[in-house]
Amino acid sequence: MKRFDGLKVINRFISQDDLVVVSLGGVVDEWHNIRPSGGNLFLEILGGITPVALGLAIALPHRKVFSLDTDGSFFMNTGVLCTLGNLQPQNLTVIILDNGCYECIGGPPTPSAGVVDIAKMAVGAGIITARTVRTLEELEQALADASKKKGLSYIVLKLEPGTVRFPLEKRKISDGFEDKYNFLRHVERLEKVIIKPPCEQK
Amino acid sequence: MKESAARMLVEGLKEAGIEVVTCLPEGLLKPLYNMLRADKDLKLIFVTNEGEGAGIAAGAWLGGKKSVVIMENSGLRMSTEVLARLGLTHGIPVMMIMSHRGEIGEANWWGIAHSQTMEPILKALNIPYIIIRDEGEIKGAIRRASRHMATSLYHVALVMSGGTLEGDYV
Repeated sequence: MKRFDGLKVINRFISQDDLVVVSLGGVVDEWHNIRPSGGNLFLEILGGITPVALGLAIALPHRKVFSLDTDGSFFMNTGVLCTLGNLQPQNLTVIILDNGCYECIGGPPTPSAGVVDIAKMAVGAGIITARTVRTLEELEQALADASKKKGLSYIVLKLEPGTVRFPLEKRKISDGFEDKYNFLRHVERLEKVIIKPPCEQK
Repeated sequence: MKESAARMLVEGLKEAGIEVVTCLPEGLLKPLYNMLRADKDLKLIFVTNEGEGAGIAAGAWLGGKKSVVIMENSGLRMSTEVLARLGLTHGIPVMMIMSHRGEIGEANWWGIAHSQTMEPILKALNIPYIIIRDEGEIKGAIRRASRHMATSLYHVALVMSGGTLEGDYV
């Protein structure tokens, strides 16, 4: 299964008002092209993707939140599995795009290229429904199951390496600050709140 | 931490509108943790490391819920990577309240290092901070820090020190 094809399936299960926190690397331009939306938060923080998604899910219990995480980022902070297991946020779906390597820097392996099974680690941490999918059909089934139940979902996609490259005009050109503002203002509009207030009016 | 100071802290959080607390508990602020657990207005989340705590707090803030990370000052070292990326690469702010382990008068040999690295790391990350030595300052400091964070979209830290702590630190 290639990541780009998997992402297209994932996108079919994401609604306009859902919020998606996205990891770094080849997934960025692929996701940006599949789901252009202010409701995507692109973060250049290995190990920080799922924690931030968890915080969003806690802050907005009525909102569906997705963590579009990667194996390299997962391994940087495996402890969050335990927090997820004990908290069981009902509105969070964690997806691990597991290609077994740090692909965007030339492909050195991550632990999941070897014997390490991320879904089994998640089950051990109390996320008993965590599962691994290896084909688009299995992915579709897992996402359908997740969308039908109210509860924490944890889906690990075993992927072949492979990144779709886009011409310059289709690439995400925003940097981290612009990504933050885009997402922040999106949430403010969506939730009808002000998170970053204006300056004082004299 | 003195019980009275811990009560000030909890009240201060609520008066400032903070709803989410991520926390890696430690020894110096001990009475605080049971108070936080008992409080029905605050969503308390115990985390496995302070970097995770910073990430969750950042996510909550982006979702419109004011948040804070409570930890020992050693947690600053643990969370530096996440704080650096959140703050310097994205401008997503995190408010931290940390205990001043290793303050002059420290009786534990293992705690000395935590104070040695505290201010240099705060300064390296350009994080404004207040070292609080009197419990009367706690509520105002929390209120100001929360406002400062929303204005600057950058991290801010409060250090519980001196007379806010149980023991001879005054």
